Amino acid sequence: MDFFMTSLPTILNATTLSAVPILLAALGELFSERAGLVNIGLEGIMAVGAFVAFAVGKMTGNLWLGVCAAIVAGIAINMIYAFCTVTLCVDQVVVGMAINILAPALALFGYNMFVGSNSANATGVIMERIQIPGLSAIPYIGGPVFGQQLLAYLAFILVPLVTYFFKSFRGGLSFRSVGENPQAAETLGINVIRIKFVACVACGALAGMGGAFLSVCMTPIYIDGIVMGRGFIALATVIFGRWSAVGIMAASLLFGFFDGLNVALQAQFNAAPVMFFKMIPYIFTIIALIFFGSRHAGPKANGQPYYRESR
Amino acid sequence: MAKSSSSDNSREKLLTTLTPVVSVLLALIVGAIIIACLGKSPVQGYAAMLQGSLGSLSKVAKTLERSCPLIFTGLCAVFAYKCGVFNLGGEGQFIMGGCAAATVVLGLGLDGPVGMLCGLTAGIVVGGLWGLLPGIMKITRGLNEMITTIMLNYVAMYFMEYVFKNLLSDNGLPKTLAMPNAARLPGIGGMHVGVILAVLLGLFLWYLIFRTSFGFKIRAVGMNPIASRVSGFPVNRLVLLAFVISGAIAGMGGAVELLGKTPYRLAAGFGAGFGFDGVAIALISQLNPIAAMLVAILFGILNTGGTMMQSVIGVPTAIVDIIRGLIIIFAVAGMAIVKLPKIIAFFSSRGPKQGANEPEVATDKKAEVTA
Amino acid sequence: MGELLRMEGVDKRFGSFYANRNVTLSIQEGEVHTLLGENGAGKSTLMNCLIGLYTPSAGKIYMRGEEVHIDSPRDAVAHGIGMVHQHFMLVEDMSGLENIILGDKRHNTPLLQKADDRKTIEGLMQRYGLEVDLDQRVGDMSIGMQQRVEILKVLFRGADLLILDEPTAVLTDLEVQGLFDIMNSLTDEGKSIIFISHKMREVMHISDRVTVLRRGECIDTVEVSKTTEQELADLMIGQKFTESTYQKVDATDQPMLTLTNVSYHPEVKHGGLKDVTLTLHKGEILGVAGIDGNGQGALAEVVTGLIAPESGEVVGPDGSSIALFSPQAFIDAGFGNIPEDRNKMGLVGDMTIAENLVLKQTNTERFSAGHGAWLKMDAIQEFAEQLREENDIRCTSVSQTARSLSGGNQQKVILARELDSHPKLLVAVYPTRGLDIGATGFVHDQIVAQRDAGCSVLLISADFDEVLKLSDRIVVLFEGQIMGTYPGANPPIKEISLAMAGK
Repeated sequence: MDFFMTSLPTILNATTLSAVPILLAALGELFSERAGLVNIGLEGIMAVGAFVAFAVGKMTGNLWLGVCAAIVAGIAINMIYAFCTVTLCVDQVVVGMAINILAPALALFGYNMFVGSNSANATGVIMERIQIPGLSAIPYIGGPVFGQQLLAYLAFILVPLVTYFFKSFRGGLSFRSVGENPQAAETLGINVIRIKFVACVACGALAGMGGAFLSVCMTPIYIDGIVMGRGFIALATVIFGRWSAVGIMAASLLFGFFDGLNVALQAQFNAAPVMFFKMIPYIFTIIALIFFGSRHAGPKANGQPYYRESR
Repeated sequence: MAKSSSSDNSREKLLTTLTPVVSVLLALIVGAIIIACLGKSPVQGYAAMLQGSLGSLSKVAKTLERSCPLIFTGLCAVFAYKCGVFNLGGEGQFIMGGCAAATVVLGLGLDGPVGMLCGLTAGIVVGGLWGLLPGIMKITRGLNEMITTIMLNYVAMYFMEYVFKNLLSDNGLPKTLAMPNAARLPGIGGMHVGVILAVLLGLFLWYLIFRTSFGFKIRAVGMNPIASRVSGFPVNRLVLLAFVISGAIAGMGGAVELLGKTPYRLAAGFGAGFGFDGVAIALISQLNPIAAMLVAILFGILNTGGTMMQSVIGVPTAIVDIIRGLIIIFAVAGMAIVKLPKIIAFFSSRGPKQGANEPEVATDKKAEVTA
Repeated sequence: MGELLRMEGVDKRFGSFYANRNVTLSIQEGEVHTLLGENGAGKSTLMNCLIGLYTPSAGKIYMRGEEVHIDSPRDAVAHGIGMVHQHFMLVEDMSGLENIILGDKRHNTPLLQKADDRKTIEGLMQRYGLEVDLDQRVGDMSIGMQQRVEILKVLFRGADLLILDEPTAVLTDLEVQGLFDIMNSLTDEGKSIIFISHKMREVMHISDRVTVLRRGECIDTVEVSKTTEQELADLMIGQKFTESTYQKVDATDQPMLTLTNVSYHPEVKHGGLKDVTLTLHKGEILGVAGIDGNGQGALAEVVTGLIAPESGEVVGPDGSSIALFSPQAFIDAGFGNIPEDRNKMGLVGDMTIAENLVLKQTNTERFSAGHGAWLKMDAIQEFAEQLREENDIRCTSVSQTARSLSGGNQQKVILARELDSHPKLLVAVYPTRGLDIGATGFVHDQIVAQRDAGCSVLLISADFDEVLKLSDRIVVLFEGQIMGTYPGANPPIKEISLAMAGK
């Protein structure tokens, strides 16, 4: 208990920090899966997003430009996925995997070009934290919860917006119908192909943003393999959060908490074999899936290619 | 309607075999363009690459040694996918195989050929067990093996860190002691015998998949689990076996890598990236074990040659990673373009016949144009 | 009343195949116009042209005298045409209300106007007597209510012409009556309905005029008041109704398969089984008649070992109960199986024809050495060629994939495989669904030939004619229960059709 109280700020701080990139990527995946596209290429898109945000942020000195560039890069990469799966009807898993292999290579290449000759470029800056007046003064939890970076606030603000979109917007309803029953959507004059492309744009943008968070908010650097399986954890989060934005937020916070626990444990017991602490988020992901990741639920037409009519 | 003439049939076969070759060429061309854009000579670069990887017998041996783990992880992926199991855990299984071998050889103090054999066996067994875990989760709880195997990769990675930092550390350094000389794999023609093992394994897997009833069933399950169940195949057991066997293949790869290749020890980065490379190899080779070995060797050439290319013309080795990524994208898209008309014909053939049952039908104009 | 729709000289080609050829159809305002034709006569294709899912290869469409081009479902909606598909186009995970307003663009706002739309829909419900719980999840609704949601969907979009594609196929008798009431109230308001069916009784009851399609061509349009069921049937089939061409046999006493009080999810009306007791004797064809979705699927899965019943007993040919509910146990007991869905359950589409022909036998001495350790490729090839010859499987080579075959030839592959081992017992589920007349005849001949060779056949089919034609005895399945057993020779058709409707 003692450990818990002293470590609480550390844990909470790490919780929000590690929840945000997962949350962003998972929200992207939510758009994708709601339109019937399972995108396991999140990991790759995040890697590109992380590098581009880092490099552009460093070059221009404006982190927000970096984040915007990461969004554009994420969309660009995901257009490969969109073209292959929607237009060519290739197996979604296979294309996602191809993205996971190609995208980090592009990022690494870019990094080599950017930093290789100029080691001064290796470290960037980190986004400033914004303390919400009043609330951030609350002991223990105030600092970590109400003193985050703007990008983190943005991620959490997205959650109600996404929920609202799927519930009350005509576009949101169309989105859901495409993931559940594209034939039905088509008979009602909904442009299934276009919605799928829009979904890929949203997914690429959000996953790119999630990647950007890693290199401009969490650490000021880019290294190969910086994503560390977070793309796949985001996939698990979508299942675990039952395809709802609020559920996804809860799930990513939970994953974040376990990552925070890992950080706190490492700090507290630095003599112990800390690698076992590092396993915690990954093992927790598996355990969470075992208990809550049942095989049904989820959009019905998920993963299936959609063949359009002849005209 | 959707009946294909025999020329159509052989044409499609030809196209499917040509696709990977064309993809490789296209990717190399794109690579050349990138090199040229950097103001370097692509011809010089590729010459350096070939020189560095195949320039002499000893270089060929080195290249093959470097291809060896990729052959294992590639075969691991091929076998799993044949049964419809998307095992992305080749890396974790490879690492656990290495850990097991290290633990057996160093921990039990086994030496000589006995140690070697025990190490290899331990690698196979533990790799298989590491593959069994996601298999059980898939069958009992329906968990998506892609996510669980990736998570287990990270668990394996940290476990290996424990092994080389705490358990079998070389005097507190972050690496294990080297495997004793006598327990290492013997050399043959400038490379370790593991390469031969890998090739033999590839041939054996081809036989297993395409010439035995077991392999027949594995393939049937991979292509249509429901029809397989109706035909009385023990689908769950076959899927589980696919997990175990593919894990064992990767685990054996880990043990071979540890016992066969310098520095003969576990350290950070052991096995890193081999899992995904294996996935790429499997996809490019269209799940044929023999083709997978060839693709693995191509990857080996790119790897060793890439280093040479960097030192000669000064382009980052990451360009090799890009070429690899492009090969797989091109191969995947190419295969789709070859098969798309067929798929469309299949769907359109069902439409008018079954009448009302099938409102979803037929061609996508855009796609046809691309094809 | 004027003419609402006119289709003139409409062709629809798929490759060289004409699904529709030179069809002319005229619909008056306020009439129920039936489109009558057998499976594959081109009814659905024609309607898909009308609602913009297909573009006709040739021909013209007029609405109220003006030529229109319908290139997309949206165009069809704009012209006031709406279709209720046989397989509902509903998003099960959404509420009734959401399904109805999905994709509608009357409000020019990005936000949904649920309250406003609800009022409109409730008005429609009242006006036409359509009872729907708008807030219920569609997946939880009864089939009848789902259909009403579909009709509301069409009406909400302001359709004047409703196309109902085999709307009664999935309904109980009571629900059918309700549907007919709705149809009447629609036509009273001046709406027109195209009714697709091949149930003569309903056609005579509800329609004003009937257009008969045969092999994609328009045969004739007649007024119902001036025709008879027999005449319509003749037009539809193209030849006089003939009695079954196959000889019926009397059942032997030797039971081959006995189901005693078998239940499987009895609470599910459309798909469960409740206290099913039936006996199949040696050398007879036992036909299971019933409207689609009354437990046929579950029955088939129980007698092929795919599912284990919750209670009851299944006794096999040798008199012992088949305790193990595994497909392998049933195969070992000598069961052949022609499954419901060729592509999903019968064939591995990406494997070759040859591989599919030996699917269940790769362990045998005949096709492999050492119990499967080495497949005898030559023997497999030879065997495949032989079966291809015997069964007239039309393909360029037995090493092409099964997927590339036409439906009829795929079914021949399955038949060849299942019958080659001379099963003691054959379970045939919807064996001719989606096949053309030639392939259907072939399948029927094969099944009867097996019976004559002493095999017992359990024929499960929603095609009543097929059951009548082949069965030596007939049982009727309704909502998972056996309603009665009838003789196959001179069957009491009236009684059986009543039983199929649950009476």
